[in-house]
Amino acid sequence: MPGPSPFDEMTNADGSVREPYLILEQWLKEQPPQALGLMAADAEGIFRRLGITFAVYGSNEGTEKLIPFDIIPRIISAIEWRRLSKGIEQRVRALNAFLHDIYHRQEILKAGRVPEKLILNNSAFCPEMMGLEPARGIYSHIIGVDIVRVGPDDFYVLEDNLRTPSGVSYMLEDREAMLQLAPDLFQRYKVAPVETYPENLRRTMESVAPAGAGSSPTLAVLTPGIYNSAYFEHSFLADQMGAELCEGQDLFVENGKVYARTTMGPRRIDVIYRRIDDDFLDPLTFRPDSMLGVPGLFDAYRAGNVTLVNAPGTGIADDKAVYTYVPEIIEFYLGEKALLKNVPTYNCTDAEQRAYVLEHIAELVVKEVHGSGGYGMLVGPASTAEMHDIFRAKILARPDNYIVQPTLALSTCPTFVDAGIAPRHVDLRPYVLVGDQIRITPGGLTRVALTEGSLVVNSSQGGGTKDTWVLEE
Amino acid sequence: MKISLRHTMRFSLGSPAHAAEHLLLTPLSTPQQKVERWSIEMPGIAEAAAFRDAFGNRAHLVTQTRPEGELVVTISGAVETFDKAGVLGRLEYDPMPALFRRATAETKADPALIEGLSPVGGRIALLHELMDRVHQAIGAPAQMQVQGAEGQAQDSELEPQDFAHAFIGSARALRIPARYVTGYVIDEETASFHAWVEAWDEGLGWIGFDAALNLCPAETHVRLAAGLDATSTMPIRAVPVWGEMPAETVELLAE
Repeated sequence: MPGPSPFDEMTNADGSVREPYLILEQWLKEQPPQALGLMAADAEGIFRRLGITFAVYGSNEGTEKLIPFDIIPRIISAIEWRRLSKGIEQRVRALNAFLHDIYHRQEILKAGRVPEKLILNNSAFCPEMMGLEPARGIYSHIIGVDIVRVGPDDFYVLEDNLRTPSGVSYMLEDREAMLQLAPDLFQRYKVAPVETYPENLRRTMESVAPAGAGSSPTLAVLTPGIYNSAYFEHSFLADQMGAELCEGQDLFVENGKVYARTTMGPRRIDVIYRRIDDDFLDPLTFRPDSMLGVPGLFDAYRAGNVTLVNAPGTGIADDKAVYTYVPEIIEFYLGEKALLKNVPTYNCTDAEQRAYVLEHIAELVVKEVHGSGGYGMLVGPASTAEMHDIFRAKILARPDNYIVQPTLALSTCPTFVDAGIAPRHVDLRPYVLVGDQIRITPGGLTRVALTEGSLVVNSSQGGGTKDTWVLEE
Repeated sequence: MKISLRHTMRFSLGSPAHAAEHLLLTPLSTPQQKVERWSIEMPGIAEAAAFRDAFGNRAHLVTQTRPEGELVVTISGAVETFDKAGVLGRLEYDPMPALFRRATAETKADPALIEGLSPVGGRIALLHELMDRVHQAIGAPAQMQVQGAEGQAQDSELEPQDFAHAFIGSARALRIPARYVTGYVIDEETASFHAWVEAWDEGLGWIGFDAALNLCPAETHVRLAAGLDATSTMPIRAVPVWGEMPAETVELLAE
């Protein structure tokens, strides 16, 4: 890797240990030589028992795999977290205000602060949402913001995921595993709890129930089914919240209201956490060939008889091309400067920027505008000259289909690997719930690139996870 | 003009456990028309959810549990229409006009239709010129979807929607908001389901253009609903999807 060595969250360049990690360092020293290896083996057993697997698309070795779990926790101090969560809350407020505006008066487009064409012609924009008034004016209730760190006080937002962010079950299971593996470490640190997430999700959903739902609304999780890579998470969350877990065929709409088929007969549903993409949600409004959705669901939503969490059309706020305007969006709606930085992004439709990108592609990261999961992306410094040429050609053919960013020196955390403890690159996805209040779970999901030097943390590309600790004061 | 009509559709349903229909079959009173009475009759309509859709239309969601065989939908109503030279103006629940610059799969621009069109004479003149070009280019509407009294839809190659989509695609390519409009058109003794276009002008608001008939809709048009294209403005969209086109009749009733 070119450039200066990345920021390590545990150890300073002079070898001294950063404050939040002092106790951990001591604890690691106390462990007998084989202890960590045994813990790692135990961890695998725990995850097999919990049944957490995920599907890898395009993989030949069976569809289900365990996500590797690293036994060394990542530790964030209370001060660091306070700063981060303020920035996240600001972003989430602004993006929900943006969604309300885009689907109503479109003031930001009229003011010329965001190009109209970028929004109205975007495939993530959902015209069917125009004029709809969601409960409490909230569109995106469940958000996962991808953040990377490059220095002690230097955080960047990589992506705002406002559609159906996944991975929260890993955050919860990582904590459960860690509590079993190293209970003594939790005696020495005061770690903020994450176990409240399902309860907070339930509260959030209840707080956005439609007006007629009564004091204890009925909740459902709508899943595409057992073949979906995140099915485990859907069933886990439904179970934890006491919500109905439904596939499209388990729900039906009658007289404008949504019901679940249950063994006790039809049950009226008030709020649906849907894990089905917009296009497949309702064949009566969106793709007519969808077998996953519920006919009439969107009309029932428009008629105010059910709340969808998240609303359709939230993707317009996390579109990669819209991402570059988020600092502008924060200023427009909140009158504040963005607290968290965006990664500088090159726009390939601009001739000058494109020329720079084509010349420097070996140093840059290229992402598809509508891609996700680390598929279809190029990490210049880690790729061959042949791959560089392929992506040059792709950019020339469809400049609007790619965004390009500098390769960030992601921070590293100590990670247990075959050779012992070594630094590996990490990112962070904190989970945010927006309802009667904004609830940010302290910590989130830390993804770690297990291959030395690798910057790709996606589980589909060989990344693992870590338990993430936010220290209480 | 006072227009009184009845529109009947018969669909073969099969025997699903649940059937659901999204209806855009309720006209709004506008400067161009006053709805005096209007009714939809079909199984489930009494319990239907009535709501406003994204494009400002009155929509219904109707469902049937274990329906059998055939679904008959009868719309009847009386509307008084006024000649406003095609100008609809602004309606209370219209979304932002800019929304109707969004290109859809059905509204592709034909470069030949807009080549050389000049805004010099003003937007209205340009839109008239565009209507004329679409009308000429796509062909005279001799075989339009006019139904006989017996109710057989005649075979036709050209549908009003082809004219409307061509107009909309071209207007949007010129950055002029344009929307798809459904309704009925009266031709002396007969009435038929029809489609035309409304294009946006900052001064006048929405103005109707019927490229199939090459005129601006006046007293002969009863307006039902507006949307991005034919799919988003379908008078009835249903699940399960019907295998066949409905048998339908539109009758003019004596006052």
